[in-house]
Amino acid sequence: MRESRLSEPPAVRRFLIAVAVLFLALFLLMPLAAVFTEALRKGVGAYLAALWEPDARAAIRLTLLTAAIAVPLNVVFGLVAAWAIGKFDFPGKHLLITLIDLPFSVSPVVSGLIYVLLFGLQGWFGPWLAAHHVKIIFAVPGIILATIFVTVPFVARELIPLMQAQGTEDEEAARVLGAGGWQMFWRVTLPNVKWGLLYGVMLCNARAMGEFGAVSVVSGHIRGQTTTLPLHIEILYNEYHAAAAFAVASLLACLALVTLAAKTLVEWKTSQSLREPAHEH
Amino acid sequence: MSIEVRHITKRFDGFAALKNVSLKVPAGELVALLGPSGSGKTTLLRVIAGLEVPDEGTVLFDAQDATARSARDRRVGFVFQHYALFRHMTVFENVAFGLRVKPRRERPSRAQIAKRVHELLALVQLERLAERYPSQLSGGQRQRVALARALAVQPKVLLLDEPFGALDAKVRQELRRWLRRLHDEIGITSVFVTHDQDEALEVADRVVILHEGCVEQEGSPEEVYEHPATPFVYRFLGNVNLFHGRIEGSKVHLREFSADAPADLGQEAIPAVAYARPHLLDIDHQPPSGRPHFRATIAHINAAGAVVKIELTTDSGAIVNVELPHERYRQLQLRKGAVVFVTVKDMKVFTQAQSTLGGGI
Amino acid sequence: MGLSGFFRRRRSVLPGFGLTLGLTLLYLSLIVLIPLSATFLKASTAGWSAFWHTVTEPRALASYRVTFGAAFIGALVNALMGLVVAWVLVRYHFPGRRMLDALVDLPFALPTAVAGITLTTLLSAHGWIGRYLEPLGIKAAFSPLGIVIALTFIGLPFVVRTVQPVLQALDPELEEGAASLGAGRWQTFRRVIAPELWPALLTGFALAFARAVGEYGSVVFISGNMPMRTEITPLLIITKLEQYDYAGATAIGVVMLVISFAMLLSINMLHWWSGKRYA
Repeated sequence: MRESRLSEPPAVRRFLIAVAVLFLALFLLMPLAAVFTEALRKGVGAYLAALWEPDARAAIRLTLLTAAIAVPLNVVFGLVAAWAIGKFDFPGKHLLITLIDLPFSVSPVVSGLIYVLLFGLQGWFGPWLAAHHVKIIFAVPGIILATIFVTVPFVARELIPLMQAQGTEDEEAARVLGAGGWQMFWRVTLPNVKWGLLYGVMLCNARAMGEFGAVSVVSGHIRGQTTTLPLHIEILYNEYHAAAAFAVASLLACLALVTLAAKTLVEWKTSQSLREPAHEH
Repeated sequence: MSIEVRHITKRFDGFAALKNVSLKVPAGELVALLGPSGSGKTTLLRVIAGLEVPDEGTVLFDAQDATARSARDRRVGFVFQHYALFRHMTVFENVAFGLRVKPRRERPSRAQIAKRVHELLALVQLERLAERYPSQLSGGQRQRVALARALAVQPKVLLLDEPFGALDAKVRQELRRWLRRLHDEIGITSVFVTHDQDEALEVADRVVILHEGCVEQEGSPEEVYEHPATPFVYRFLGNVNLFHGRIEGSKVHLREFSADAPADLGQEAIPAVAYARPHLLDIDHQPPSGRPHFRATIAHINAAGAVVKIELTTDSGAIVNVELPHERYRQLQLRKGAVVFVTVKDMKVFTQAQSTLGGGI
Repeated sequence: MGLSGFFRRRRSVLPGFGLTLGLTLLYLSLIVLIPLSATFLKASTAGWSAFWHTVTEPRALASYRVTFGAAFIGALVNALMGLVVAWVLVRYHFPGRRMLDALVDLPFALPTAVAGITLTTLLSAHGWIGRYLEPLGIKAAFSPLGIVIALTFIGLPFVVRTVQPVLQALDPELEEGAASLGAGRWQTFRRVIAPELWPALLTGFALAFARAVGEYGSVVFISGNMPMRTEITPLLIITKLEQYDYAGATAIGVVMLVISFAMLLSINMLHWWSGKRYA
């Protein structure tokens, strides 16, 4: 952007900067600092012990399992949806994009509730599932389902605008040069969207590992069995093990920081590829 | 390989981009599809490449129906307007792409691929840039990489979409001549799309002029320039003066002058328009006898250039452009504001109906 | 490939349209549409009067007031502060600007439970901030104020990220033009810049508000959860579930879903109005 020579008086400038910095410091920096300070309040030994305790390890395992199922599913969905929406024209496209966004606007608690109403004892399939001894609600499958629901939009949302903007010329070029469908996808389409995909995956993963409301409704809070990391934090905090709760929370805070770093990297990479004078559209 | 399209029609959302277009491209020729934007020229090129499926009509390669063949199986080389170079691949990898994606039994060995790519890069004079990425190249270099990439799979036909559209004027000139030489060297049947008449007339063996989804005229550059078949071609290829009037019997009565009509259309007056190129008008101080002429005042003279461009105002207030050789200009000693007589050496008359619809007599 | 034949196929040389569209619809149906429809069906089995009674009982009404009131104030704070932050990040250069810019997305990335316990700790009587508020008679944790603070935190990125690109794309010539016509700086802002920012600001506000209304994790720790006073609607649903009142939970869940859809619709119309999507 060209810098405008016009600007506000220095006093106004300084005041606005001070207000913005103070606001962000209070709302972002201070909570971030507090997480790590509280986590280490009782020393490094207590910190590590809180992470190594069996229930914590079980929560880590369950969180990783949940993400390992929800994230790949939503990556495949995101790629598939972005291909259909980004590269083709068809009626009802905007409605479909809105539908993909839907889980974003549903309250996490309601996201959990809808699965309880489907698979819980009082739900549509509840009696049938009970008769066949399949447990979904208050068990791991319910946690995974609720997590999939809340993370549906992440990858698709990153990829759809990207694929739309890139158009179809590269793919057409690959086709004319004799590439098959998969060759085109792996060698041309995927490399073109890799940075957006990476960010989408990071966001999806952060949410999958950090989801609280939806998982809380379907989990049943059985310690060591159906508690993910955020639920484990809740239990520790409510039992007045604040330092332990923050120790576990610091893991998720680190994950958040890595996600933000990935975002910065991706933005830097895409701004670089945009700076190419290649596409004068 | 020769190309033929028969009765191609293509609609987009109710808009007809191509209307019953037929065309033949003999093997080894370099043909230009020329037309303004929206004339359907790019769509026609994409139909030939198999990138668009026509609603009606057939595409034939060497007299064999290729309409149902996919873009992948047509073995055409296609150079995209914005090159569509794969930006995460080096120049070498871009050119090698078509060879690397071949089915295993047809795929050349790594060494063969490397050899072929380097031959092609030598052909387009880019051997030294093999390891660069597209973002590190100039527009003209990208264009040549795109060409090398298209040629790598040894296509039977080369199709180029506005090959010089995104380049600045000087690079365009060079690349034009270079493309012509390259074509003469490898002799591949080539079709390119352009909206630039100079480009089409300079480079191509044959020019096909498209307008609103129809072929207006096709022929050698000389034919289409010297004998435009329709008012549209007249207007599109170079500057032209328009004289309005009517045809009555064997005479054309224009606002400025009268002349013999090209054909006797009966006694009823028919509105008509006459087209005359600026270099086919002459200027004199005295009214010439026996030739159609009219009086005009010199409004502006531009003597910088290969010819002298003179703008005149007729008595009825219309503007007429004349181009004179410098020699004739000096001989006449013309000055701004002088009243002179303009002679029409050659012109083409169309009825008003043809002029708006685009047909010819 | 039946679907692809049905739709107009403009870019037909690319493969996989029917397959990918089919898979997209299948996945969305299984994960999103069928569960959502089942919820509406379930609510309809209880009957209208029971439904109406549940969703209008005093405790539910109080929870709506708390939820929407706090979400509205939070979004309002974010609209104002988000505008200032976006302005400062785009227009001024100062040390730490890039880091702050990157950190703006923290509330997106930080799990809500972590945000919840952290804000509670900070604002409680012994916390870094709470200890200074306590002597002033301000009770931040376990009060409506705490809810507003939590909802401000989780909605913070929305306004900044919708306004920022619009500010960046604003043509400096507009402002130079206004100045050359004799407008003062404040006049230029009010008459030239503000009209350009309105749609984005409103969209950011709506997004922050929508997110805040449904929020649970960051609020549940800080609110104190007193029925009628600091109980938010999502918590009421959980309470009803814990009491095995499935019909009640469903009824209130449906109210929240309808509100979500209405907000999604209005946000989409805002996008349509402002001519671009928030991405």
